[in-house]
Amino acid sequence: MRLTIAVSSLLMLVPASPGWISTLPALAQTAAAPPSLTGVWGPYRGGRGSDPKLAPPPAGALTLKLPYANTYAERRAAEAEAAARGEPLASGAVACVPYGVPRMMSVALYPIEILQTPGQITIVSEAFSEVRRIYMDRPQLPPAEVPPGYYGRSVGRWDGGVLVVDTVGIKPSVPAYQNMPHSDQMRVTERLRLITADILHDQITIEDPVVLEKPLTYTLAYRRMPNYEMVEFVCDNNREFIDEKGGTHMRVRER
Amino acid sequence: MAARATLHGAVMFTALVCSAIPAAAHHSFAMFDTTRRVTLSGTVTAFEWTNPHAYIELDVPDASGGIKHWSVELGSPSILMQGGWKFKDLKFGDKVTLVISPLKSGQLGGLLARITMPDGRVLGNGPGAGGAQP
Repeated sequence: MRLTIAVSSLLMLVPASPGWISTLPALAQTAAAPPSLTGVWGPYRGGRGSDPKLAPPPAGALTLKLPYANTYAERRAAEAEAAARGEPLASGAVACVPYGVPRMMSVALYPIEILQTPGQITIVSEAFSEVRRIYMDRPQLPPAEVPPGYYGRSVGRWDGGVLVVDTVGIKPSVPAYQNMPHSDQMRVTERLRLITADILHDQITIEDPVVLEKPLTYTLAYRRMPNYEMVEFVCDNNREFIDEKGGTHMRVRER
Repeated sequence: MAARATLHGAVMFTALVCSAIPAAAHHSFAMFDTTRRVTLSGTVTAFEWTNPHAYIELDVPDASGGIKHWSVELGSPSILMQGGWKFKDLKFGDKVTLVISPLKSGQLGGLLARITMPDGRVLGNGPGAGGAQP
């Protein structure tokens, strides 16, 4: 604990620039203890009142293979048309189906809670009360051996001060980044690291040999929320419903 | 090859357009006409502090002496608390004034923009729109 505090204090003294970030793993390795990520983290999206040096870098380009690029573009066009009509096409979330990996890591303004325990790191997302478990220092299974689901199987290791998480086994019906399509061979690699004591970045790389022309990388940024108490999220008053064409509607009540 | 470059361009363009839409966890805001604002002054018949959304049910007197009933959607409890709300801020019988974006369908429902509470406080619908949701 004392080591972690020492590292955190040092980090606060170092000016934020791309140059020093690359020295971070070496610094933490010298301390021989991984940093503590335990706590609640809210989205840090840059913009007014925030430090642009701490905001996430722009996302890489989403480059889909054919025919997926066509299907995706058609879906986006249909979404835009339906939205203009006031009947937006429903996603799973409209029926309160959770987001899964990797989208649960960034749902609107909702925080996530990271719990670091021996052999396991657990991440709880406030929206839809999602939970993912990262098993530390265990070998990953081939994707074909993991039952397809929303969270797949995640294994993690510390690379100096960087938590590297490898996830496979996300079923294709679970939408990924920007609702992009993906296959059962999708692999999600995350690199979580403290940029300062209170700013965390999760660099997410999606690889999919079936759907993606090249890997896609984007970064999420979080700010620490000390003393925040996670709010429960049980979807028991869902007034949105989906019509036979997939459009979303709000149910109004009579007097 | 040229056709493919155009396709990629289309995908990127769409992604940019989508990132301008405020962050939503549960559904798109496109059901509501966010270019319009309607002011409703009336009496709270229910305040539901629930997920995925909180709701205000409101009886609003109309010009002909009758009552129109409105269902108004808010953010979730978490988002509202980030904007200064508490679960017991409203109760049955409270007199309030709401500014909403109405449903495009014309039904008597909408999305809260802001509310003037019985004690005069003005609250929004959470801490403000977030950025893009990847």
